[in-house]
Amino acid sequence: MGRVTRRQLTDLPGILSLPAALTLASILAALAFGLPALDRAVPAGRPVASGLPYPVAAGVTVVPPPGADLDVTGTRPGDDRGTVLFRLGPVRYAIEVEPFDGDLTAAAVRLRQRLTGISGHRVSGTQLAVSTAGGLAGVQGGYTAGDRDGRYAVFVAHGLIIEVMVTGDDVDLEHVLPAIDASTRTLRYETER
Amino acid sequence: MSEAVVPGVSRSAALTRQPAFWVVITLLAVGAVRMSQIAALFLKSYPLATVTAIGMFALLAVPFWLFVSELDFLEREPAGLRVLAFAWGGLVATSVSIPGSTALDNLIAKLASPDLAAEWGAALAGPTVEETAKTLGVVAIVLIARAQVNSVLDGIVYGALVGLGFQIVEDVVFAIGAVQLAGQGDQVQPVITTFLVRGFLAGVWSHTLFGALAGAGIGYLVVRRDRGRGHRVGVAALALLAAWASHSLWNSPLFRESLGDGAPALLAVLLFKGMPPLLLVLYLVHRAHDREAAYYVSVLATVRDPQLITEGELRALGSGSRRGAARRHAAASAGRRARAAVRRLQRAQAALAVELSRATADPALPARVEVRAGEVRSHRAVLAALGHPEAVEGARSWRHTASTVGTAVVAVAVVWVVLSALGGG
Repeated sequence: MGRVTRRQLTDLPGILSLPAALTLASILAALAFGLPALDRAVPAGRPVASGLPYPVAAGVTVVPPPGADLDVTGTRPGDDRGTVLFRLGPVRYAIEVEPFDGDLTAAAVRLRQRLTGISGHRVSGTQLAVSTAGGLAGVQGGYTAGDRDGRYAVFVAHGLIIEVMVTGDDVDLEHVLPAIDASTRTLRYETER
Repeated sequence: MSEAVVPGVSRSAALTRQPAFWVVITLLAVGAVRMSQIAALFLKSYPLATVTAIGMFALLAVPFWLFVSELDFLEREPAGLRVLAFAWGGLVATSVSIPGSTALDNLIAKLASPDLAAEWGAALAGPTVEETAKTLGVVAIVLIARAQVNSVLDGIVYGALVGLGFQIVEDVVFAIGAVQLAGQGDQVQPVITTFLVRGFLAGVWSHTLFGALAGAGIGYLVVRRDRGRGHRVGVAALALLAAWASHSLWNSPLFRESLGDGAPALLAVLLFKGMPPLLLVLYLVHRAHDREAAYYVSVLATVRDPQLITEGELRALGSGSRRGAARRHAAASAGRRARAAVRRLQRAQAALAVELSRATADPALPARVEVRAGEVRSHRAVLAALGHPEAVEGARSWRHTASTVGTAVVAVAVVWVVLSALGGG
């Protein structure tokens, strides 16, 4: 058995350790920055049929506001839980559905605590009762997130919690809130799935 | 030269003189800054839950760390490189995977459909980004300390430690995510639930396992110089694919609903999704360990000095179970001190074997061999003074068999109770 030098420990290209390390760093950069850049370059908006119920998840449907686009990055349908994200210009209109075994009061507390748990978010104003055309009872309120304002609503029905979050700046919200409120009132739980 | 082990030199070149080392250190520093920022956000919003999560998962890491470190009993990896592997998983791979996996999941939704992303996004995006980022950790170790990757088992150990670091940090992130989702404020209950599910039930089949699989491929690529480069690259790619497939199977929606929600069904899913990669890794570890052990035992067999190692000890040293049996035999015949002395003797004999292999590769190292031989003689003298001069296995005891069966029964019972407590029953 002959003398084994450090170079001979492998026949991989040993003289290229620095370029190899830089290649390794480049692959990491591609994963950490390249993929997000590609993600940003591909449009996320999809048109949705106006005036027709859109299935959110677990049998919950909503009629999107006129002119809304579906943002597929925030939309994940499912049999027992799911989310949908609509965009009206710069305003985000998100609905999340998941199993829940509490009552409406607990649901409202949970949503407010989740909001205030996010850095910079504050609940503002009073909380009001709200109901939908399909008979779902809920509460709604407002919050601020830095320089953006938001509205929230929460409903509990059939072992599900339905959370609605609307975010945008003051001026944009003012224009689209009536349409979003009208959309929220179309939330419905379909028993026949 | 054996195919199983390529002897390395003991600490030939200073790491700090290698440019690649500084590239790796820079990546670690960037990862540390990024993960510190996330930790600071968690601590600001949920201080109690964050401290609890870090504490619980850090404790969980200890048995995993000890087990993985012990896998290569005969030629333990340097502590610094083990820490580096763990840090790569916890700092670099995680900070790359958080934006990368999210972006890939979004791309699946954009280029295919939100339905596909909802069902299969976790099974496709996560494994693709995470397994790549983790495997690069083993590659980084090869680049800066190639001499320390001289068997397939070394690749398995480094890969498992990268995976362990990733798993622990990811678990903490998931725990705080659960706290946020629960909307109950700074509570520890979601942390405990996450610990039971991700740490206790899913921990065995998680990233440590996937990392070990991919690491085996890198070890093979570096060590098996008797095979062509194309063949080795193919095996390394296959190992990475196996890690990806195991991870993907684990994250997939398969069997999620078909088997129901009962504890037996959840246990079946755990076993069905986790058992194939676990068995594969156990097979690889066993095979790699045996090949490495056969090499080092053959090196020690050339010594022919019963003060350093006897025929019986050679046989015992070549197998993890026989090493354990020798320790138990010492404990039974001469007490706990003898058990500890046998362990130290075995460790010293393994170190001697490594130095001997390095000395054949580098004749400038006989002094280190003499130092190791002196250590073996010293431990032998202690053992002899305790009335147990030879570290060999005794007859198999019924107590050990009963203890093994009892431990397995208790483990299954504990898993069953946890599954039931989590809503499976």
